[in-house]
Amino acid sequence: MTEKNITLKIKRQDTPGSTAYWQTFEVPKRPHANIISCLMEVQRNPTTQDGKTVAPVTWDCNCLEEVCGSCTMLINGKVRQACTALVDHLEGTIVLEPMSKFPVVRDLQVNRERMFDNLKKVKAWIDIDGSHDIGEGPVMPDQDRAKRYVMSECMTCGCCLEACPQFTIDNSFLGAATFNQVRLFNLHPTGKMRKEDRLDAVMGEGGITDCGNAQVCVEVCPKNIPLTESIADIGRQTTWQAIKNLLTK
Amino acid sequence: MINRKKKIVIVGGGLAGLALAMKFCERDGEVTVLSYQSLKRSHSVCAQGGINAAIDAKNEGDTPEKHFYDTIKGGDFLAHQPLVRDMCYQAPAIIHLMDRMGVAFNRTGEGHLDFRRFGGTLYSRTAFAGATTGQQLVYALDEQVRRHVHDGAARTLEWHEYLGAVLDSEGICRGAVIHDLRTGDIYTLPADAVVLASGGPSQVYARSTASFVSTGAAATTAYLQGAKYANGEFIQIHPTAIPGQDKLRLMSESARGEGGRVWVPRNANDKRDPKKIPESERYYFLEEKYPLFKNLVPRDVASREIYDIVYNQKLGVNGEPMVYLDLTHKSREFLDNRLGGIMDIYSKFTGVDPRESPMKIFPAVHYSMGGLWTDYGPDSNGLIDHGSPRNQMTSIQGLFAAGEADYQFHGANRLGANSLLSCIYTGLMMARGIMNYTDSLEKSVDDISSTTFDDTRSHWQNRFTDIKAMNGSENPYKLHQDLGNIMLANVLIVRDNKSLEKAWHAIHDIETRFKDVKCLDTNDWANPTPSFINQLYCMIHLSKIITKGALMRDEFRGSHYKPAFDMNQPKDFDPHEYIDYLEQRQYGEVPEGKFPRDHLDYMKRFQENNEKWLKTTVAQHKDNEPEITYEEVNTSLVTPRPRKYD
Amino acid sequence: MAKPSKDEIHYLLLKLHSLTGIIPVGAFLVVHLCVNSLRTVGVWPYQLSIDAINNLPFLLIIEITFIYIPILFHSAMGFYVIRLGKTNAHRYRYPRNGLYTMQRLSGAVVFVFLIYHLGTTVAPKLWEGKHHFEAAPFLIDIMNGEFQTWQGMLIYTIGIISATFHFSNGLWGFCVSWGILIGENAQKNGAIIFAMIGLALTVLGMATVAEFNMNPVPVEATVAR
Repeated sequence: MTEKNITLKIKRQDTPGSTAYWQTFEVPKRPHANIISCLMEVQRNPTTQDGKTVAPVTWDCNCLEEVCGSCTMLINGKVRQACTALVDHLEGTIVLEPMSKFPVVRDLQVNRERMFDNLKKVKAWIDIDGSHDIGEGPVMPDQDRAKRYVMSECMTCGCCLEACPQFTIDNSFLGAATFNQVRLFNLHPTGKMRKEDRLDAVMGEGGITDCGNAQVCVEVCPKNIPLTESIADIGRQTTWQAIKNLLTK
Repeated sequence: MINRKKKIVIVGGGLAGLALAMKFCERDGEVTVLSYQSLKRSHSVCAQGGINAAIDAKNEGDTPEKHFYDTIKGGDFLAHQPLVRDMCYQAPAIIHLMDRMGVAFNRTGEGHLDFRRFGGTLYSRTAFAGATTGQQLVYALDEQVRRHVHDGAARTLEWHEYLGAVLDSEGICRGAVIHDLRTGDIYTLPADAVVLASGGPSQVYARSTASFVSTGAAATTAYLQGAKYANGEFIQIHPTAIPGQDKLRLMSESARGEGGRVWVPRNANDKRDPKKIPESERYYFLEEKYPLFKNLVPRDVASREIYDIVYNQKLGVNGEPMVYLDLTHKSREFLDNRLGGIMDIYSKFTGVDPRESPMKIFPAVHYSMGGLWTDYGPDSNGLIDHGSPRNQMTSIQGLFAAGEADYQFHGANRLGANSLLSCIYTGLMMARGIMNYTDSLEKSVDDISSTTFDDTRSHWQNRFTDIKAMNGSENPYKLHQDLGNIMLANVLIVRDNKSLEKAWHAIHDIETRFKDVKCLDTNDWANPTPSFINQLYCMIHLSKIITKGALMRDEFRGSHYKPAFDMNQPKDFDPHEYIDYLEQRQYGEVPEGKFPRDHLDYMKRFQENNEKWLKTTVAQHKDNEPEITYEEVNTSLVTPRPRKYD
Repeated sequence: MAKPSKDEIHYLLLKLHSLTGIIPVGAFLVVHLCVNSLRTVGVWPYQLSIDAINNLPFLLIIEITFIYIPILFHSAMGFYVIRLGKTNAHRYRYPRNGLYTMQRLSGAVVFVFLIYHLGTTVAPKLWEGKHHFEAAPFLIDIMNGEFQTWQGMLIYTIGIISATFHFSNGLWGFCVSWGILIGENAQKNGAIIFAMIGLALTVLGMATVAEFNMNPVPVEATVAR
C-alpha cells in the first residue's frame, strides 16, 4: 500500500440468501475523503486489488451530511454513518461490512423495514383531526420543545439497534429508537391523548422490559439523542400504566 | 364520474409528495407513494434554516402581502404572481398545521412560535426547528402518511423508481411505469393521475448541496415524453456551503439570519489566525455594500459578491476560494439552541468548532428554480382557485408536478426558507384540483385498453434489456462525473456565452460517449447500475436544457448572471423612480430633466430588456434537442421593477 | 379481570423478575450478609442471631415462600433474559456494556454458587434434622470447615462478590427500568451510590469470610435439648 492509496476491505453478498465474501479495493486518497467518496471511486473503477474487474459495490446513501440516516454500516467493526466517517481519522485497511442485525439486501445494503414497522406499532404520530386550517397549535414551553426536538432528530438509521446486545436479527425487541419515539409523542400536548395506546404497545414481548440497560445505544447514536433517558422515562410511564391497569381495569 | 376511490401515484416522498399524500388520503383517495428509498430519507431533510410565513409574531408590521412582494422581488419578477400570492397567504395556516402535527418549532418565552430573519427580507418571518427544519417537517408529514398507511388508506412503494408515464392514444397520462429496484421488475400502475414530486436536478453538477437521489430523472423523463420544462437555466447557487469531495454541505442561511457575519481579511496575504485579525483589518463586504440588508441579501446577490471577492478582488482566505462566515461573537448556548444541527455538521466534516473559530465557506449549487412547466387556475381575487384541475398540471394531461420538480413560485431566484413552504403548499393545494380533474374526464383509466399498458411496459422492459446489454468502454459513473464537471466549470454563477457554448458542445461529446457505456453490473437482484445509466441519460438531456436556456437568455436576471448584459444600475438609483417613469410614459414622453440622465437611460434599457426577457423559458424535446420558446409571465399584481438591496 | 394476554404476562413476569431481585431476594442478601457479619463482632452474638432465626415459627414455610421460590423464579427468569440478548462488549467497549455482560455472568455464577451453598448448609441441616438451638452449632461447624481450605475460600469469595455485584448493579438497573432514575446525571449519581452500597456489602461479606478463616471457633448449643 502506498501513502496515497486507501485500502478498503469490503464484505460483499450478492443476494439475501447467498454466502458473503470479501473483496479488497484500493482507491486514491484525496483530501477530506469520506467512506462514501471512496465507494464512489470504487464505482468509477470497480477493480479489486488483485486486478479483477467486478460489479461495483452497492450501498445505501442519500444526503451525505448525516441527516437522512441512510448510509449506516459497520466501519472497522463499529456501526456508524459512512458519510461522516472521514478517512483521515481511520487507520490502515478500512473494513466495511453491512449491519448485522438487519437482513442483507446486497453488499452493504440492509433492509431496515423492521424499524419503520415499529413506528407503526407504537403509533409514532400525532392524531390530528385533519390538515384543514383550524388555527394555531397548542402553546408549549420552549423547554419542552427543546426536549422534544432532540428526540425528534432520530433519523431511523439503526445505529442504536445494531449496537444493542438485546436486539438480534430474529427477536422482536423494539429497541431504543422506538422507545424514544413513544416518549417524543407522549410529551406533546396532543400526542398525550393517545399515550396509553403507545404505552400498551411497548408493554409486551420485545417491549420496554426487554431492555438490558447496556446503554450502548446512547454511545453510538450519531445524533446524541438521550436514548437512555427516554428508556428510563418510558420505564416510569409504563410502570404507572401497569399499576393503573391493575387497579382500574 | 368515477364511482370508486380516486387513485393517484405520487412519485417522491419529500415534503411535496407527502403533503399531497396526506391531503389526498383525507379526501378519501387511494394513494401510492413511490420512493427510491425508505420514506424518511428524502432530500427535503437537508433543508435547515426554516420555513417562511408572515405571521408577524414580532410586531414588525409584516403581512402576507409583504411576503408576496419580497418573494416576487427576490425572484426578479419572473414568477407568476397569483400563485406566489396565494402561497404567501396560505403560509401562516401551513405553519400552524405543521405545528399541530408536532414539529418542534422553536418557541418564545410565552410558548408561541418563534421566528428569525432570513435573506431577502427585513422581517422576522422564518419559523424554525433548530437548524434541521426540513428534517423535522418531513418527519411530521411522514408520520401522518404512515398513519394513513397504518389505516389502509395509502400504500408506499419504497425502493421503487418511476420510469415514465403511461400515455393513452390521446396523450393523457393514465398511470406510471414502475421499476422495482430490488427485484428489477418493471410494471405499470394504472392511476387517475400521476404526480411528480421527485425533487430537483442538482446532481447534474459534480458537486452541489443536493442528495444522491436528486438527479431530476423523473422530471426529465416527462420532458422526454413531451412535457414542457421551464426556466431550466435558473439554478440557485447558495452562498454558503462547506467545500468537500463528494458533496458541498450546506451551511444554512439561518447562520446569517442569527447574526453570522461574512468577511475576508482586507489584506490578501494576511495569514493570521482569523481570531487574531482586528476588526479594522476585516472586510465585511456584504455589510459595507448593502447597508440595509447587510449579510441577508438574497442568495444570488450574496453568491455573486463572494465570487467577486474571491476571483476578481483575489481576497479569498489564504488565497483559496473561501470566505469567513463568523458566528464566534454569539454564545455557545445560543448557537446550540438555534443552530445546533449545522454547528455539528461543520465540526464533523471539518474538525473545526464553528463556535470557536469562523467557518470557511464558498457558494455551491443548491436549488433549481426551474422545473416542469405547470399550470394554475387563478381566481378573480389575484389568488388561486384551489379546486381548479389546472393547478400544478404539466403540459401532459393527467401528469402533475409539485415541489422542486415544478418551476413555479421562485422566479429567477428563490428566497431562503421559501422552498419548504412552496413544497408543502403545492402538495396541500393541488389535492382538490386533482380530485376535480379525475371527475372531469370523459374516459376514466378503467376504460383504457390493456394494450396501452402492455405496450408501455414492454417498451421500458426492452429499454432496460438494452441498457444491460451495453458493453462499451465508458464507465457510467465516470461519465456522470465528467458531465458534472462540465456544468460546474461553465454553467455556474458567472456565465458568458463562450463558455456556455463550450459546455453545449462538451455535453454533446458526453452524449456520444454515452453510447459507448458499459453496464458494469448485470445482476438481476438489487442492481443500481442500469437504473443509474438511465438516469444519466436523463441528466444529459437536463444539462442540455439548462445550458441552452442559459445560452439563449442574453440578460442578467436573478441567479442567471451574464456580466456582458448587466445593465449597471446607477449607484443612487431608487426603484420607485421606475414606477414614476412608467406612469409618465403612460401620458406620453417623459419630460426632459424629470430624471437624471443616467437614470433615464437605465430605465429605458430596463424596460426594453423586460419586454424582451421577462418571459418564462420553455424547453420542449424536439429531435433529441431542447427547443426553446418563451411565454409571458403573469405580472398582474406587482409591477416589475429594478431590484435593489442597499 | 379479563384473561391476561401473552404480552401482559410477559410484561408482568419481567417486571416481577426485576422486583424479586430487590424484594425479597436482594433484601434477603443484605440481611444475610449483615447477620453473618455479626461473626466479626464475636461468635456469641452470631450464634444468638442464628438461634433467633432457627426458632422462628413456620421457618421452612417462610424460607420457601420468601426465599427459595423468589430465588428460583428470579433465576429462571434470569436465564430467560440471558437468552433474549447476545453480548457484544468485546466490540462496543463501553463501561455500561461491560456491566451488562457482567450482570448476566454474575447471575449465572451466583446461581451455581447457591446450589453449592445450599447443598453444603441447608440441605444437610434438614437432612440431619438439626432444628432450633441445634442448628447454630451444626452450621457454624460446617462453615468453620469450609473456610479452612483454599477451594472453599475461593468459592465463597467468588460467590459473595458475584452476589453483591449482581445485587448492587441490579439495584441500579431496577431504578432505571422502573423509571426512578431518569436523567443522565441521576443515573450517574445513582450508579455511584449503588457502587458504594455494593462495595460495603462486599467488605461485610469478605470480613466475615476472613473472620471464619482466621478464627474458627466451635460452639455448643445455646440451650441444650
